[in-house]
Formats: sequence, structure tokens, C-alpha cells
Amino acid sequence: MKKVIEGSQAVAEAVRLARVSVISAYPITPQTHIVETLSDFCSDGSLDARFLKVESEHSALAALIGAATSGVRTFTATSSQGLALMHELLHWTSGARLPIVMAEVNRALGPGWNIWTDQTDSLAQRDTGWIQLYCEDGQETLDTTIQAFSLAERVNLPVMVVLDAFFLSHTYEPVDIPEQEAVDRFLPSFTPRFQLDTNNPCAFGSLVTPDAYMEMRRSIAEGMEAALDLLPEIEERFAGIFDRRWAATEAVQCDDAEIILVTSGTVTSTCRELISDLREKGEKVGLLKIKLFRPFPVEAIRRILAPARKVAVIDRNFSFGASGIFAQEIRAALCNTRGHPPVFGFIAGIGGRDITKDVLEGIYRQTQMSDNPEREDIWIGLKEVQNAAERS
Amino acid sequence: MDKKTGTPREVSLFIPRSYLTTEGNKTGSWRFLRPRYEEKTAPCSAACPAAEDIGRIEMLTTQGLFKDAWEAILRENPFPGVCGRVCFHPCEGACNRGEFDEAIAIHVIERFLANTAHRNAFAPGVEQRAPKKQTVAVIGAGPAGLSAAYFLTLLGYRTDVFEGASEPGGVLRWGIPSYRLPRAVLEEEVRRIEETGVRIQTGKTLEQRDLDTLAKEYDALFLACGHGRPVALGIPGEELEGVEDGLSFLREIREGRMSKLSGRIAIIGGGNAAIDVARSIIRLGGKALIIYRRRRQDMPAFGEEIEMAIDEGVELRELRAPVSIRKDGGDLVLEVRPMKVAGTDADGRARVEPNEETTEEIRVDRLFTAIGERAGETWYEPPDAGPGVLRLDHCVMQQKSGNIFVYGGDLTNGIKSVAHAVASGKEAAMALDSTFTEGIESVQPRLAACRAGAGPALSMEIYMQGPRSDRSPHVVTYDEINADYFQFDPRVKQPRLLREERAHTFGEVTLKISANLAIREAERCFNCGLCNQCDNCYLFCPDLAVKKDSGTMGRHIDYDYCKGCGICAVECPRNALILEEEDDYEKGH
Repeated sequence: MKKVIEGSQAVAEAVRLARVSVISAYPITPQTHIVETLSDFCSDGSLDARFLKVESEHSALAALIGAATSGVRTFTATSSQGLALMHELLHWTSGARLPIVMAEVNRALGPGWNIWTDQTDSLAQRDTGWIQLYCEDGQETLDTTIQAFSLAERVNLPVMVVLDAFFLSHTYEPVDIPEQEAVDRFLPSFTPRFQLDTNNPCAFGSLVTPDAYMEMRRSIAEGMEAALDLLPEIEERFAGIFDRRWAATEAVQCDDAEIILVTSGTVTSTCRELISDLREKGEKVGLLKIKLFRPFPVEAIRRILAPARKVAVIDRNFSFGASGIFAQEIRAALCNTRGHPPVFGFIAGIGGRDITKDVLEGIYRQTQMSDNPEREDIWIGLKEVQNAAERS
Repeated sequence: MDKKTGTPREVSLFIPRSYLTTEGNKTGSWRFLRPRYEEKTAPCSAACPAAEDIGRIEMLTTQGLFKDAWEAILRENPFPGVCGRVCFHPCEGACNRGEFDEAIAIHVIERFLANTAHRNAFAPGVEQRAPKKQTVAVIGAGPAGLSAAYFLTLLGYRTDVFEGASEPGGVLRWGIPSYRLPRAVLEEEVRRIEETGVRIQTGKTLEQRDLDTLAKEYDALFLACGHGRPVALGIPGEELEGVEDGLSFLREIREGRMSKLSGRIAIIGGGNAAIDVARSIIRLGGKALIIYRRRRQDMPAFGEEIEMAIDEGVELRELRAPVSIRKDGGDLVLEVRPMKVAGTDADGRARVEPNEETTEEIRVDRLFTAIGERAGETWYEPPDAGPGVLRLDHCVMQQKSGNIFVYGGDLTNGIKSVAHAVASGKEAAMALDSTFTEGIESVQPRLAACRAGAGPALSMEIYMQGPRSDRSPHVVTYDEINADYFQFDPRVKQPRLLREERAHTFGEVTLKISANLAIREAERCFNCGLCNQCDNCYLFCPDLAVKKDSGTMGRHIDYDYCKGCGICAVECPRNALILEEEDDYEKGH
């Protein structure tokens, strides 16, 4: 059934359909609508789950670690500072191999206090062992959230479903909400590979000496690698039931493209329009949408980008002292390939500033006119500012 | 899928998991702080002159154990029905909940428990000791005398009470109007005191020489003769017809000699007796005007009583000192001098002085004085310091030729309230028991050992080595309560007769509350310092070191595993746990 709903509500509908047993969360804008909707579901009986109110995001994830260890399906949602507060437990979740699913609404970190979109919060958690999936619209968000449980439970690793603040979390779009019966077929009840069991008591997460720790880390890495292989399989099965298909990476008119723009999140939709306009004018331009950031789909990216003459990466994030994070990852993916195209890194839309089609076209033209990037990060649309010290 | 075989592939899963028991890891060895269950003293029970175990009484009430709650009162006070009505409840002023939202309505619950005991004809199961050989005579069957007799009987002494009036009760029977204290309530409590074995002889007015006879028959005498004689105003015209003493007026009403009143009647005074007289006048059809030399907030009468009097139509003229009274035709003319506040007295009340030289005249039909009372006879008065005289908080003891005289009640109490009278009787009983068993030297140390908190309130349960004697005398403060565990909840409103109804009847003004309301009100109680088995310590202990048992606390700490994190003590809402440094911490670590 199609309904016009927010991206936040799409997440909540998916969590309801996934028959999650335990939800624990602490409210933070712009994530709050997700857990508000879920708490309504819990109170009106449409979702039979324990909703744990806690005093912080750290506690929210700690509570889910306990619940997930007991072998049930779990969910939380957060954003920005809330995710940062979870940092320690993000590592714990993957180390304990718990298939927790989280919706992460990208929001800028303060100060300056800012509630608008910016990917730095989730990308800063790239080394915590969480699978990360960046969504473009409401339908993809709903479908990805359902798939996330399947993926997490197959590889015993946590999954973060990431969506842009407001542009996605608070935007109403028509979204097809599948039937429960169909979702049950795609996502049967969770059978854990290990769990707390009072009949067979054991302790999890105990001291591990150098003798075994490395193998445990390697096991997590293998789980991540398996996720790369399993995601297409899950997508296939999902498409078989729902007739909708998404992918870890999506190449739009890249085969003969001289310049490929690389995007993630909602800016992809704007870029799709630009590509279509430019193609009508006969320009050889393509678009690579990266949905899966962890594990990073290196092979697919190399294959798609190899024929291009130039690559322009649009980063709505920044790693201080380095460059845009997607650009870094793409450069790293390409550097061991022979004759790879130069990678232009553009920083745009930080802290919720709009990335319009004109902004994207400017990026395209700048890439077209330069042979090689003058620097690793090119900031788009910066204004003149006055230094704080000059005020006094 | 495995690319070669086409079967689902198991994803690598190598995690730290141990099937060894963790019991071998005795985390107790890490501890340098030791939590310990230690019940403490609630501020209400320390503020109660009778040291009632209020925190526990409220706890028992929440559990519906009304008989046990009522017996807990009877261990410290034989008058729950009386005190639930007329006590000025200093307990509520000390209540920690007052700093959170509103104090617990302790007196309302006390009255509820007394009502419930009466309705169900509960037979009290209060410990009574084996009979002793000594006997005691009590002179005066007011609240102090009856309390002394009651506690002495519980301690095993045969006690006879001698009362001059036709019925026992003293000021409770003759001074407090029935709209505050119905006669049946008093009679019921006196009857229960008699059932413990106390013998009361009424209509026995004693002379000073009778003391010698009694001294021969009894090992000790307790004199609680109270105040019977009004204090005079000392102004011209006091002797005129129509100028009467308020206490006699109240007594006449309680004797059933009531007559309709009319016109405007003045009352001089600011204590409870003045208020009682004024409210009685209203009920008999007169107009009442209280004249007081200081301000309303300086009146010794209880605030609630003043408020109800004004509500019922009593007029209050503050800062007016009486100068003279004269007759003018059928009227009395009271000359008063306006006063003004000039500083503060030692007791915190305003000091007043004349505001101007001129005086005002107040024309009334009758006038009552109610400015205080004194002892009826000089021999009622306790001796001043001297050989063999021992002054206690609420009594004066005197050893006289092998006999012990104890003076108590209003004649030795600073504050003249029913609760203080009970405290005086209790102190006398303890002092006599100590003297009989261990000699007079033991009195002060033994009394000091059974105080509720810092005192002066004395607990008979502690004196008799009951479970309460295990508690720490530390009085719990609001800072020591974990208020996170409580929610704002308004105090119960005690129902009252409508003002219109009150104007015509001596029927009781305040009405009873239901068991539901009593339980709900008792549930507001923090139970300061007392474990009510809330299980927070049990639930929060990260080492599962809180173990349930069948002991009095119902739980203990397993120090093999308690690593002294202190979470239990922090999460205890009511400070029933204490966290101490380990004795051997300094040398052991």
C-alpha cells in the first residue's frame, strides 16, 4: 500500500514489519520522529516490542547489547552527538558480533550548534565495524532497513542505515509499505547463532590474550567481506518478493562517460537530473552512487571508474587535515590500479547548505576545465568571513 | 552462497566466550568501601515528643497492616485517637517530604488508624512485662498521669491513678471542646489504658497531707496535677460581672451545661484556649472577638486552629493590649492600647510596645480571659534544685526518705501539649523503672540511650530493647534521600464539616478518610532511613551480591563478591544503607 510518509516514518514502518523485539533509544533531532513513531506502534499494539527509555545514547546501545546477546532482534536510532556518545559501544557491538540495526540520521556536529545534514557523524565511525548503507529516498530507506536485519543476522555484524537530516528524514514522499506477510517471507524470525541461555550458562566478552585477539579481529574482517558478497544475494531475494532492486553501487550512464560524478545520499537525486540535462546536450557525463560505504565496494568502484577520464567526488563531510572522506576512500581504491583517472574532491553542502543542480553543474564544469586537481579538497560556495579576533 | 557448491556459507564467527564459572573470581577482594544495611532515624519520629515510629507506621499502613501500624503507635503513645485529632503534629514540620512537595499528613493517618482499630475492635498486642513488686500512685488523670500509669503498667508495676474530677481525662475531658475531640474517642482510649491493668479512682480530691499516706502505701508517686487556675489580667474592672474565665466556660460546656449566647463577646488571649472559647461562642450563637496584644503569627495557638476560627467568623483584633474594663449600662467597655512591633523576643515572636498614648474602646456584651493558667495548689509545683532533686527533660524527680516523687505534665513541660504530656508520663515511667532496677544513678544514662535521634524524644520500644533499638540515631536529612525515586503527589486533604454546619454543632469538624486515601497518603512517605524492601539494591547490584534471606532486613550483602562500588547505597531511595571505608584499607593496600 502506498502512503505519503516521511523518511523517518519509512524507517519506523520497516522496523514494525521486521517484528523487532527490543527498541531502545534516546531522542535527538532529527532522529526523534523515528522513535516517536515506534513508541506509538508499541503503545497501540501494532508492534509487540519492549521499548526501553534510557538516559543517554550510550545507555540505549548498552541496553541493546544486552538484549541482542539474549538472541532477539533489536533496533535503535540516533544522530550526530548521540552517535558520538555511542562510540565506545559501537566497537563493542561489532566485537561482540551482535546484529543490531540502527537508523542514523546524518546531522552536523557542534559547535556551532547545527541540526542540519552532514555526513561527518557517521563517517567518523567508519572504523567501528558497522556496516553502513546510505539511502537516497523514502522507499530506499524502508527497503534498506528491512534488508539490514537480514544482512546483519547473516554476518553477525551491526548495520547502520544512514539518511540525510530533513532532506530525507523529514520529507514526505509516496512510499510503498509492503504487506506483513510478504516481509515475513523475506525476513523470518531471528535464529541466533549464539545467545545467553540460563540452561547453558556462559560468559561473553571476556579477556582475550594476544594469542587469540588477532584471529578475532580477522573474523570480523571476514564477516565484513562476506557482507559484500551477501548483499547482492539479499537484494536478489528482496526483488523476487517486492520487485524493487537497490545496489551497493549504482552506475548511471557511466559506460562512455568522460567525467563521472560520485555521490551518496539525497544529493544523488539532484545529480540524476543534472546528468539527464547534460546528456541531452551531448555531454559525456556519468554518475556513480555509492550506497554501501562499509564494507567499501572497492572492486565495483574500480570497475565503474576505470574508463573515465576524470572523477569528481561530492563530499558532504570533511576530515580535518585530510579531505572529503568518500574522496579519500576512492583515491585509496584506485591508487593500485594502472592509469586510473585523477580524483577531484569537492566539499559541498556541509551543515545542511543546499546542493542545487547549479552547484553540481559548477562542480562538473570546474572538473571539465582542470586537467588535474589543484588541491585534494575544493570547497564550493565559501563566503568571505570575519575572524573572531577582528571583532574586538 | 558458496560459489562452488551453491550452499549457504557459514560466516566466520570467532568470539570470546567462556563456560567456566566466574564464582572463583571473588571480586570482594577489590573492595575498599563496604556497604552495610543500617536503618536510621526518620526526622518525624525524632520531632515527635512521644517518639512515635512514624516512618514504620506509614510503611505498615501502605501494606494494609493497620493493626500492626496502630500497635506501633501504642508502643510509644496510648492516645492515637486523641493525638490524631488534637496534636499540633511537629512531626509534619520536620517531614523531609516537605522539602520535596508537601509533608505527609501524619496526623490524618494516625487518626485513621485509631478509627480503624475502634471499628474492628482490635485487641492490642503490645509487650507487657512480668509483674514487679513495686507500686506507683499517680495523682491526676490527665494525659501525663494516664501515660505514666500506662507505661508503668506495661513495665510490670501496679499503678493506681487518683483523680479529683468525676471522670478521667483532665484537659482532654474538660478543656478541649468536643468539636475537636469527641468524648467517645477519649473514653475509648482511657478504657484501653484501664484494660492494661491501670486502676483509676475518680472524685478523689487529694490534700497535701494525703501525700504522706500515699507515700507509705506506694514506692513512688507521680504528680501530674496540671494547671487548674487561670492567670489574672491584672487590670481594673477584671472583677466586674460579665468578665469570666475562659477555661471555666469550656468546662461548663463539656459538663453539658450549655446555653445559647447572643451579642458580641470578647476573648483576651492568643493561645489554644482563647481560640477554643471563641469557636465555642460561635457555636452557641454569639459573635466572638479575639483581642491579642501581638500579631496573628505570634499567637501560641496552632495555625490551623486560628485559620478555622477565622473561617467560622471569629474576628481577630491584633496588636491591642487591654488597659481597663468598665461597665456602661448593660455593656462592658474594654479599653485597649494599640501596640506596635519593636524587635523580636528570644522565642522568635514579636516584641511589642505601645504605639501611641491614646487608647481605643471596644464595646462588648461579655468578656472572657484566656491568657494562661497556673497550678491549682502550690504543692503541685515541682521543687527547685536541691539535694535529691533530679531535673529531666519533661519531669523533676525527688528522693524523699526512701520514697520517690516525680513531678510531670504541664507543671514541668516547656511546651504544654498532649504529646509533651505523653512524653512526660513516659519519661517518668522509664525513670522509675531504672531507679527500681538499677538505682537513681542509672536514670540519666538509660534515658540517654533510648532517645529517638538526638532527643529529647524517648522511645519506649528502644528502652524495652525492641527491634527499633538496632537503628542508628542519625536523623536522615532531605539531602540523603534519593528524590529521583519519588513523584510529586499532593498531600491528602482531610475533609471537614461545611462552615455552615460548623456554626450550629459541637460535632467533630474534621472527618475521617477512607482506607484507600490513607494508604495512598502513607505511600507518599519516604520512610526515611527504613528499608521497605523496595529491592533497588538487589536490582542494581552489578555483582549480584545482594542476597535475600529470612532475617529482619530480609537481605544481606555477600562480601565475597561485593566490590564496594556503592551503587546500592546511592540507589537506596531512603538511606537505609551506609557506605564505610574498610577498616583494613590503610594497612591492607
